[in-house]
Amino acid sequence: MSVVAHLPRRAQSLTEEEAESPPAMELTGRHRMSEDERTVAATIFDEFHADPRYREFVLGCLNCGECTTGCPAARFYDFSPREMLQIAATGDATTLWDALQEKIWACCQCYTCNMRCRFGNDIAGIISVMRELSVIHGLESTRRTLAPFGRSLTLLMTVGTQVSSDMIQPDFFRDWGPFATGSDQVWQVTPEVMRKAIPLDVLQTTRSSWEVSVQTSLELFRIYEETGVLDMLRGLDPDLTEMLVDIVEERREEFAEARERFSSELAGQRGPVATFTG
Amino acid sequence: MNPVLVLGGGPAGLSAAGELASLGAPTILVEREGYLGGNPKRWHYSLLAPDLRPTEEVMDPLLGKIEGNSRIELRLSTTLAKAEPVEKGYRVTLRSAGALEERDVSSVIVATGFDHFDSRRKFEYGYGRYPDVLDFKEIEIMLHEDRVLRPSDGKPPKRMAWILCVGSRDVQVGNPWCCRMGCVVSIKQAVEVRRKHPEIDAYVYYMDIRTYGLWEDLYWKSMQEYGVKFVRGRIGQITLAEGGSRLMATGEDTILSRPTEVPFDMIILASGMEPSAGTKEVATLFGLSVGPEGFLTPRISDLNPVDSGVPGLFFAGAATGPKAIPDAITEGMGAALRAFQYARD
Repeated sequence: MSVVAHLPRRAQSLTEEEAESPPAMELTGRHRMSEDERTVAATIFDEFHADPRYREFVLGCLNCGECTTGCPAARFYDFSPREMLQIAATGDATTLWDALQEKIWACCQCYTCNMRCRFGNDIAGIISVMRELSVIHGLESTRRTLAPFGRSLTLLMTVGTQVSSDMIQPDFFRDWGPFATGSDQVWQVTPEVMRKAIPLDVLQTTRSSWEVSVQTSLELFRIYEETGVLDMLRGLDPDLTEMLVDIVEERREEFAEARERFSSELAGQRGPVATFTG
Repeated sequence: MNPVLVLGGGPAGLSAAGELASLGAPTILVEREGYLGGNPKRWHYSLLAPDLRPTEEVMDPLLGKIEGNSRIELRLSTTLAKAEPVEKGYRVTLRSAGALEERDVSSVIVATGFDHFDSRRKFEYGYGRYPDVLDFKEIEIMLHEDRVLRPSDGKPPKRMAWILCVGSRDVQVGNPWCCRMGCVVSIKQAVEVRRKHPEIDAYVYYMDIRTYGLWEDLYWKSMQEYGVKFVRGRIGQITLAEGGSRLMATGEDTILSRPTEVPFDMIILASGMEPSAGTKEVATLFGLSVGPEGFLTPRISDLNPVDSGVPGLFFAGAATGPKAIPDAITEGMGAALRAFQYARD
């Protein structure tokens, strides 16, 4: 009996091209990647590992699962921060590629996993690096996944978002544990715990935290321009990016006019004073 | 010969003092508490892993060598206030009930041991807040007194869980080391419970089971003979369930890769080991270097784990790292021999 006869029937009928592809793809039922996709996947994999943040964020993993325990996304989706960290640590470009298609977008970037992680990994951070790469490379899946969030993105990039402290209700923060929520459901977060979760200056500006000054939002947009965030987005969604630029350009003009008006008013006030003292 | 000073009356210190006395060396045994026996006595350890031998069978012979021994000057409720090196040995100041006393000693054995991790620091488990969340200290007393009942309502539990590595292997609380005991002691406790109360379900939540060497036997037996169940994954938080009458343990089963939520009647935290307050004080008094973990560091731990590197100063037991009772006793013997040689030469 020949050796070939011992092989599963499927293996015998493989074409040459099929035989070259990793068998894992067959077994897990993943869709067959095109040559182009495979090239992009390899590039992303290399860039991911070359990113200086990689070594800082991915330290090691005991596979304890405490990150997943506190993860709000894990309750509702086939998603787990532990799995994401394992994927980040994998040596297989295809595994990383698969995660970039959809899973990375289930994370809500609450950073609870980081707070839980006994190894000190920055899991939410490494997920955001993955997201960056999928946006930079303009993956079709990323475009599809992010399409419904155009409105949020527009608001985020033109105004910025902030959390006001009256939004911080214990019911929303069960992951803070029993000392925060309490058996009797009475608000029991100590100032110490609260400060750990919310920046102090946010706590102090309850009323004003939803009011964003025009200057601040323009500065924010300037940061997006200077750091290349806008270019990243342009690759993914040029139409949305142009719309954002239009909105911000209009604001800039308004702001410049307002500043002009304000300084001439100020000069008008100052005029007599200057004369008086002069 | 000036006496040898032994600091600490736990297994290591008792072993050292007993051996020194049998070598004929005068010995001062200083203990901070008002009794001898260290943590095993203080927290009423029940059976010892892995042979399920009553703690008394180990501690009583150690204590028997000390009590009434004319070569041993026993100083309970006493601490070390000062220590200066002299030509040979140390001039030490002992503090007892506010009174100071200066003594010349030929050498010193530091056997100041460990403290159990304060489980309140892992606040997500609600220890100190939920009465039915216990740690090693309370469950050992319960097992010792054969009274495994829920502190909240005094009823027998139906389902119990053990959570390993609480305050160990965790940079969030600053303790990245393994306590070495947590696995085998938790399994031993679960076996003790199942042996006496087979109607109670026992679950152990683990990251890794480290029942090293021959201790592995108890781990296997716990499943095969006592039906203890093991779940790979950690509980990340404990909340109240069923109107506050039970505890809800939430975690991830990392083998099934699914979140899990299970109600329990009692949850035991395997509280880790930290350098004791006494160990830290001694490090300061003698100006000793400590490792990043806060434990004392022998000069070459592979070559001689009881040698401090400082003339006339020796270590024994959990002051240099998490240790089992037999290891502490062995080190006590080794330190006694080295201290005796130093004092004699």
